[in-house]
Amino acid sequence: MSKKAWLYLISFLTVIAILSWLVVISLPKPNLRVIACDVGQGDAILITKADLQILVDGGPGNKVISCLSRYMPFWDRTIEAVVSTHPDADHSTGLVQVFRNYSVTHFVTTEINRETDVYSTLKKEVGESKAQIHFVEKGERLIYGGIYFDVLHPGQIPPASETERASFKTNNYSIVMKMGYGDFDALLTGDIEDKVSDLIADTSNVNNLVYLKVPHHGSKNGLSQKLLDEVRPQVAVISLGKNSFGHPHEEVLKLLSNSDTKILRTDQIGDVVVETNGSTWWIK
Amino acid sequence: MKVLYVIFVALIIVRVGSINYSYPEGARIRIQGRVLTEPVVYERARYIKLKGLKAYVELFPEVNYGDSITLEGDVEGDKLKNAKVVEIDSGGGLYFVRQKIVAIYKKALPEPHVSLISGIVLGSKSGLPPDFWESLKTTGTAHVVVASGMNVTFVTSFLVNTLVNFIKRQKAIVLALAGAWVYVVLSGFDAPLVRAAIMGSIAFGAQGLGRVSTALHALLVSGSLMLIVFPEWIYDLGFILSFVATLSLILFEAKIATMLQRLPFLFKKDLATTLAAQIGVTPILFIYFGNFNLLSPFINSLILWTIPPIMVVGAAAALIGLVVPALGEFVVFLAYPFTFWFVSVVNIFS
Repeated sequence: MSKKAWLYLISFLTVIAILSWLVVISLPKPNLRVIACDVGQGDAILITKADLQILVDGGPGNKVISCLSRYMPFWDRTIEAVVSTHPDADHSTGLVQVFRNYSVTHFVTTEINRETDVYSTLKKEVGESKAQIHFVEKGERLIYGGIYFDVLHPGQIPPASETERASFKTNNYSIVMKMGYGDFDALLTGDIEDKVSDLIADTSNVNNLVYLKVPHHGSKNGLSQKLLDEVRPQVAVISLGKNSFGHPHEEVLKLLSNSDTKILRTDQIGDVVVETNGSTWWIK
Repeated sequence: MKVLYVIFVALIIVRVGSINYSYPEGARIRIQGRVLTEPVVYERARYIKLKGLKAYVELFPEVNYGDSITLEGDVEGDKLKNAKVVEIDSGGGLYFVRQKIVAIYKKALPEPHVSLISGIVLGSKSGLPPDFWESLKTTGTAHVVVASGMNVTFVTSFLVNTLVNFIKRQKAIVLALAGAWVYVVLSGFDAPLVRAAIMGSIAFGAQGLGRVSTALHALLVSGSLMLIVFPEWIYDLGFILSFVATLSLILFEAKIATMLQRLPFLFKKDLATTLAAQIGVTPILFIYFGNFNLLSPFINSLILWTIPPIMVVGAAAALIGLVVPALGEFVVFLAYPFTFWFVSVVNIFS
């Protein structure tokens, strides 16, 4: 072999060696993390455990991509499940880039549709990807790597033509899930409004949970007293940014501060990271 | 030669004087055209330039470099307010190839690494996270992810050096120049790329014809030709920076390199290059942005060595990936140690 060829071979092997070390250094821990990404006024919640990731919504812009980069090892390019709770732009816009940047195994959603530019683009990206599409409704249980997700809402979606559905208030058809791993459990609520909050308190077992994602960015017509009394969360997370809607609403903050819960807001502390080993939990 | 420059200057003055888009102030108009500058994607909006007008439009529907679009909005100076995209026809051909390549990168590595690679290889920075873009600007390293003449020079010399192994030098040069121009279109047809491609064409063309061409003449002639064809580039920051940086390199690089020879420092060649370019560029950056980083030459000398390997890996990955996407994604992976170093250095200093 010529001297030049040797040089190339040695450089190549050096790169491979460094790469291997970088992989080893970035091996993830086995703990479960629930990360409310700081994506501004919207929702993007990443649940990770070792090299497993479940992403619930993608936020209003592309910030979710930076969040994924922060909490996923660089060599892991697969998100096991992406849940789109409902088609509103502040939850689904970021998912377009998620599908362009990552391989997604399962896409979990409902049949609620919206004919917006964003959502149409998302549907096109999902269609072109290899993701299996899974429409869920109340009563189903999804399990990923020992973490279960019970779908508590929506129940049957009223039959209607596509155009009628487009004018629905989509918030109240958000997917609501109770997530559990060992002794840790969480309620992920999308953008549901107070009447659905009440409905869930009445019909589902959401008694004494650790973690509550406060519905609809802390909007006045989101969290109900009834749901709060039922869940009695130890930590309540509000995902929001600068906005003109008056989120979070004073009444909701008052409701929460009267209960014995710790309030964490993405607009105040950035990413909210709660970690658990299945028996105890802590805030990162 | 002097007569030629006098003619050039006269022509430039005439052409620049004739810039006139004459849009009726305040009127709501529709314009149609191809997007020839890569749109900048912000958190909530997309910034596009079309036919001399600047506009912010919504993130969706998506407008990409190379698309033919119809835009509606209210004229206000050189801006189009309340702009709305009425129609989009995606550009085919090379534009499609460019998007395909960026898509391959995206699947292989996380941000900001992937935008760094697509920025370095193709000058495409639409996916760059805004906070990392800020870090690049504060460390004075943003030039690596914008279309730069260095890329064109690199592509041309790489092609010439490879092709001469197989065909005659003259033919190799012609093919390499053709390749360089394809690269210019692929990368966004920005002023710095065009400048480098013209300069390269002049330099190699003169070589081919057996004439001696000095770098200074090549720069002045290409700068003049560009302004005669695209007079509006006289206001383009990319054009100005590219021209001034190249001028500074031609005038100062060799001298500074001699001065630095004694330094016991690993990256002193890169340091000389950066220092030389900074002589001309710093005042301009200061005028435009009001700040500059004193450490910038040092930071640049720490990271510039990673650019050639990233370009080689990125280009190889693109070529392979267009045929076998999965293999291309794997090749991109090899760039990670370099981008890791680059990103870490930038994050430490910002």
